[in-house]
Amino acid sequence: MVGWQGVAAAIVLFGIGTLGLILRRDLVVKLLALGLVNSSVILALVSLRARPNLVPPLLDGPTPQALADPLPQGLVLSAIVINFAVLAVALVFVMRLVERYHTTDSTRLERRTHDEEES
Amino acid sequence: MACLCDVALIAQLCTVLRGGSCAVTFGEWGSGLGITFAIDITSLVFAALGLALSLAVTLYTWREDVRPASAALFHFLIGACYGISFTKDLFNAYVLFELVTVSSYLLVGTDRRPRQIWAGLRYLIFSSFGMSVFLLGIAVVYAHVGSLDLDVVAAAVSASAGASWVRLASALLVGGVAVKAGVFLFSLWLPLAHSQAPPAVSALLSGLVVKMGVVELYRLSAAFPIGFALTVLGVATAVLGIAYAVWASDLKKMLAFHTLSQIGYLLIGFGTGSEAARYGALDYAVAHGLFKALLFLAAGDAAAAVGSSRIDRLVEGRDQLGGATRAAIGLATLAILGVPPFAGYAAKAVLESGIASVPLRVCVFLISAGTAVSFAKLWPVVAGSPRGRTARPRAAAYAFLGTAVILFLPISRAMEPVSVWSATLHLPAMAEAFAASLLGTAGYRWIRRHAPRLPERIFFLEEGILAVLVGIFLIYALLGGS
Repeated sequence: MVGWQGVAAAIVLFGIGTLGLILRRDLVVKLLALGLVNSSVILALVSLRARPNLVPPLLDGPTPQALADPLPQGLVLSAIVINFAVLAVALVFVMRLVERYHTTDSTRLERRTHDEEES
Repeated sequence: MACLCDVALIAQLCTVLRGGSCAVTFGEWGSGLGITFAIDITSLVFAALGLALSLAVTLYTWREDVRPASAALFHFLIGACYGISFTKDLFNAYVLFELVTVSSYLLVGTDRRPRQIWAGLRYLIFSSFGMSVFLLGIAVVYAHVGSLDLDVVAAAVSASAGASWVRLASALLVGGVAVKAGVFLFSLWLPLAHSQAPPAVSALLSGLVVKMGVVELYRLSAAFPIGFALTVLGVATAVLGIAYAVWASDLKKMLAFHTLSQIGYLLIGFGTGSEAARYGALDYAVAHGLFKALLFLAAGDAAAAVGSSRIDRLVEGRDQLGGATRAAIGLATLAILGVPPFAGYAAKAVLESGIASVPLRVCVFLISAGTAVSFAKLWPVVAGSPRGRTARPRAAAYAFLGTAVILFLPISRAMEPVSVWSATLHLPAMAEAFAASLLGTAGYRWIRRHAPRLPERIFFLEEGILAVLVGIFLIYALLGGS
């Protein structure tokens, strides 16, 4: 994929994810939206320096000018792992909340925890 | 044990450096590609703060059965905080931030009470979103500079001043970090998470973890032209924190709002950029960490003794509090008000002496008075005759932090150049500090009667995410205006 197409797609995905995060009240959908936001940033990171006709940076590869930049790919690997871990923790939290309140609706959870605090 | 090793290491670093600075680059890549750790006065100050707080929290929980998992998370948290104070690489900072926050989500929910878990989940969603924004900023920087080392980035930024990518990148980077740093519009998750967490965790979150965001903002301000935006955000943060703290009826919640207001000071100090203001902000970061940790620990103790952390209940049951607990609350309150000669005054006076513009000085004075307004609620808790007793390890933790709060003035003066602090020992500065606290305390009833009640809704999840987006646009606009 040529760089700017990836960036454009990333921006669109980021927007969709953010909207989902704000507008959808179901926590599971919210977490999916959060995953979309995180992945869109990863897409942006890999495609910003992507150009046509680059080859993987291997030791016995062709001339240096045509090599893809390996650093963003390295960064993205860490970011993917981190996002996976964060999402897993979040889902465990949601599971705990469902056990107690029997709902995944964020507004209702917010109200119920708020009311418990007042009483 | 680990803490003792840290003491030895940091003490050694301090003696080796003696005010200078050096850098260590990891990996065999050379600077620009490898990860650089800068060891300078800023990072050592923050590392020392982390050390002091970890010792205090260890003392506080000495005889209690802490879960092994929580103890491990605590070490991850402290270690990653040291890392953030030292690192000069943007992506390394991102990874360490995630390490800090993943351990703090789990620590917030450590008692597994549903409300704590909800607070932790909200914190997670906010900061994961914020970190995505930060990573987007990193992507923009990398696309234009080709390196993530802050020194290289700073050189590239100053070479292309005013370019639109600089504006975009700094808005995204600052916006992303601000979610962690307790800044107005970005950190609306903070009051709930900090007030629901167990006391030892609140002390760490408020004293240390929030400062990690601030130290990263400081590092960014060395590379990007964001001083003006930081100052504006600082004032807004402080005003917001105080406005809500005046109304808070729950002690831990009030302390959490005050974390916001005190972060405002730090941002004003770092944003102003003069040498004295910078030293003042560094001082204030440490001082705030010490007395806020003391307040949170003592508040947790008091709430456990009375059975509620609501301030009216605390006033009713004040005779059940231990003497050490009340002494700790009293001392820390004096310190946060900025009454000489405690830590709050020592730091605030240096900070104020570094601010040249008159409107900003008036703002800082009003913020001090506002702090006194909301802390006026606490005096009835401190007054009265103590009958309960404080558990010995906790009293030891209070004694440790309290000593640090009292000795802060001479120690910080010994470490700073005389030109920075000479003005702070004069009578006008002290009179100003007293005036702000007296004015605030006297004005409490009047303000309580006349101020409008503010909406709680902005602290809900959806509104908070929307506020982050608004905040990023705001920074972008501010960068154009300066």
